[in-house]
Amino acid sequence: MNELLLMCTIAGRRAAIPAIEVQSVIEVDNITPIPGTPDFILGLTALRSQALTVIDCALAIGLEKACTSRDQRAAVVDIDGHLYALLVEEAHDVGEAKSEPVAVPGGFGEGWQRAARGMVETDGGPTLLVDIGQLVSGPLRQAA
Amino acid sequence: MDELLADFVAETREMLEQSGSELVAWEADPSDKKRIDTIFRFVHTVKGNCGFFDFPQLEKLSHAAEDALAECRAGRREPDSALVTAVLAIIDRISEMTDAIEAGEELGTGNDEALIAALDADAEVEVQSDVAIIEEEIEVAAVSAPANDTQAEAAPKAPAKGVQRSIRLPVDLLDEVMKGVSDMVLARNDLARRLREAGEQPAIDGPFERLSAILADVRTSITRMRMQRLEHLFSSLPRLVRDLSNELGKQVMVDFEGSEVELDREMIEMVRDPLTHIIRNAIDHGIETPAERLRNDKREIGLLKFAARQSGNQISLVITDDGNGINVERVCEKAIANGLYSRSEIDKMSDKQRENLIFEPGLSTAEKVSSVSGRGVGMDVVRSNIERVGGSIEVSSKPGEGTSFHLQLPLTLSIIAALTVGSGDQRYAIPRSYVEEIVFGNSSHVEFAQAGDRRLVTFRDKRVPCLSLGEVMGSETNAECDWTSKTLILVRLASDDVFALAVDRVFDHEDVVVKPIAPAIMETKLYAGTTLLDDGRPMMLIDLPSIAQMRGMVGGVRTKPTIADKSEKVEKSRAVPVMLFAGLDGRHRAVRLELVRRIDTISRDAIDIEGDRAQAVIDGEIMTLAGHDTGPLPDGRCRLLRLSDGEHELVYAVKEVLDAADVTEDVVPSEADTAIEGVTLIGGKPIPLLDGHAVFSRYRATKKVEHTLTCRIPEGSEWARTILEPLVQAVGYRIAGDDDEVEADLAIALAEEGEVLTTGAREVIRLRPEPEDAGDDTIYRYDRDGLLAALKRIRTGRAA
Repeated sequence: MNELLLMCTIAGRRAAIPAIEVQSVIEVDNITPIPGTPDFILGLTALRSQALTVIDCALAIGLEKACTSRDQRAAVVDIDGHLYALLVEEAHDVGEAKSEPVAVPGGFGEGWQRAARGMVETDGGPTLLVDIGQLVSGPLRQAA
Repeated sequence: MDELLADFVAETREMLEQSGSELVAWEADPSDKKRIDTIFRFVHTVKGNCGFFDFPQLEKLSHAAEDALAECRAGRREPDSALVTAVLAIIDRISEMTDAIEAGEELGTGNDEALIAALDADAEVEVQSDVAIIEEEIEVAAVSAPANDTQAEAAPKAPAKGVQRSIRLPVDLLDEVMKGVSDMVLARNDLARRLREAGEQPAIDGPFERLSAILADVRTSITRMRMQRLEHLFSSLPRLVRDLSNELGKQVMVDFEGSEVELDREMIEMVRDPLTHIIRNAIDHGIETPAERLRNDKREIGLLKFAARQSGNQISLVITDDGNGINVERVCEKAIANGLYSRSEIDKMSDKQRENLIFEPGLSTAEKVSSVSGRGVGMDVVRSNIERVGGSIEVSSKPGEGTSFHLQLPLTLSIIAALTVGSGDQRYAIPRSYVEEIVFGNSSHVEFAQAGDRRLVTFRDKRVPCLSLGEVMGSETNAECDWTSKTLILVRLASDDVFALAVDRVFDHEDVVVKPIAPAIMETKLYAGTTLLDDGRPMMLIDLPSIAQMRGMVGGVRTKPTIADKSEKVEKSRAVPVMLFAGLDGRHRAVRLELVRRIDTISRDAIDIEGDRAQAVIDGEIMTLAGHDTGPLPDGRCRLLRLSDGEHELVYAVKEVLDAADVTEDVVPSEADTAIEGVTLIGGKPIPLLDGHAVFSRYRATKKVEHTLTCRIPEGSEWARTILEPLVQAVGYRIAGDDDEVEADLAIALAEEGEVLTTGAREVIRLRPEPEDAGDDTIYRYDRDGLLAALKRIRTGRAA
């Protein structure tokens, strides 16, 4: 089973999102902030008359620095009927997983350990497979 | 057939279908507690519904079955196959009766007595059922009740012909269609914006307008397909309450609020049953007998109040009685006695948890079992029904003062009327149903006061706590909030608590399509949903009840309405609501509130006055301006009342908006000033009341006739071209040219030229050259009045 993955960069690290979950990759231009929400929720953006919740992947993982990117690329995913735009630093091509996701002794480091389903081998080298369900619930709920 | 009755039949049939498999399972294992519960609920519900439709036979049957099953549930009787058979026979009979009800036939006596007797534990009656089974049920019945089937004498008859032409659709499908239409509306808005940006394109604009109109129609009907006003549900309640209170020897009156709230048809069906149970409980346990009430210094008539509000994708329904409240002690005792909880568990519970014990299965506080309630099924069924549709129910109670049930019901997809407001740099939507009134912080009759750190506003002699939206949203702190520059929205919650929400600006009211929001955003408890603005930007819908709850603006049970309140209400409804304002000359005037659509504030630059023509530009639209002639326009910002007669709108310039008031005194007409309806007394002062009719008739631009009429005039006549043509055009006709193939509406012919050119027109006017009356229906060519009258007569006749 060679899973197709959307390769991207989150906080300078190579990461991947299962391509089957990704509806499209968009460039987010206008974000309406939502006061009162945790940091990692940047706000709402509209795509074809639908509102997407924009998530900053780096903050959602629990890292301190927000995603910095020039073209504001985001992967659109549907989780439990809600649409999210996962903002990443860079979005590359779709690639193939060369292995099953595996854990690495010692973990992937704080934050990453929670948000990653494991490490997969790809053409570009070892990549962290991101668990999008964890991403959208953010670091706070994990801590609670 | 009565719609309610049809609903009852449909509901019963649906339940019969569902209970089919349960019946089979029960037969296999008569001691299965779960199955008994399900079947028990079914007969219980049927019994409940019968109470409201007056089917004594049906009620008797279901009551008997319920009795027997209750015995089993309580463990006083061991269910055996004889009982199963007897209950099945009754259920079949119910199904038969349902068919008869639908067809409007007599129920027939059957051998109901025998069926009931068969339930008796000691009876050794062999069930002789002559039940007719409807076609769809044969399979179920054949498996579940072989005894019945073999003995059935009557051949299964075809299902009664439906009286009403209707189909039942899965709600999922409706949901999908509804969602599609909502998305279409949003896509249309998006397209509309792009078209606006691209400028005028007649070739596209026309079809687009048509598309919009069609879409609006479709949306309305789709919405209607799913929605029903709560009124529909409420209308059946007074009768139920009356019957119940008569039966129990109590006096209860009902009060409804928010019956215009629309609810999913499905949801109405879901609420109907729980509501019936709550009412039964309230009347049976809550409200005391008249004698007892008098002893407790209450009015002998109890009050049952229903208040509904819509907010985002939630409907909140509060049912309040002013009875004795829940006897928490007794509920706890009962829970312990029934072995639901241990004493120590109860001791650990909060008061709230103890109150909510009434939702536990198998708990009843009634001293005796009446036919109305007290079997301890009511509230657990209520809760399970409401939770099944994703809602929640809570109870709060004060001993001696009353009980209220708060139901929250979800509305996955809805279009609601909202007020768009600005706070900080953001726009938010507030459900309009909560908005009681809007006042400007700088109005002269709004006074701020401070108690501790709580800002209060005194408005209409009431002190109302203030909440700044900016502070709630974290964009400013209370200390830096400039209250007088804010607009205050007086919010009345379903629980009747009032508070003022301060926002920077109120933009407009519009209908918005509310979409659910992601759970992580939901967790903030600030928002109820999201919606898209016309320009495609998302906007959050504020969850007012939740914010009020977090900020402690909700006071709990309120049961204060008294006679004085009532009479005041009656008086209010007779009064004419008006808006008081100061004209540009500073004089106070009033305008009927119904005329005022909203208040706009624009800058002086957006107003253009030249001679008799005065216009204002608001949101890119040019509107006729009135009221500017009473005094000089203020520099800077102008406040305008947007008046509407339903079709046309114009704006009326004012210096300041003062207040809303009710005109209860007579309006004394004034001959001298035609711009006013008359003068009336408001708060002891004479106030002129603006005459809406006069304003609109004076300022409204004449409506263009939709269809321009065409007129053919004699060709080749210089007189016709130079003299006649301008006259005809001035009256509003278009001159038909040679290349006009279509039939003209009118042709004017010169009598001396005979019959030429009169074909191809629906009406003909002949002109004669001589002033003398020729005795035919011709008109002298210089008889201007006669000619104009003829043109006008034809024109009005055509345009009509």
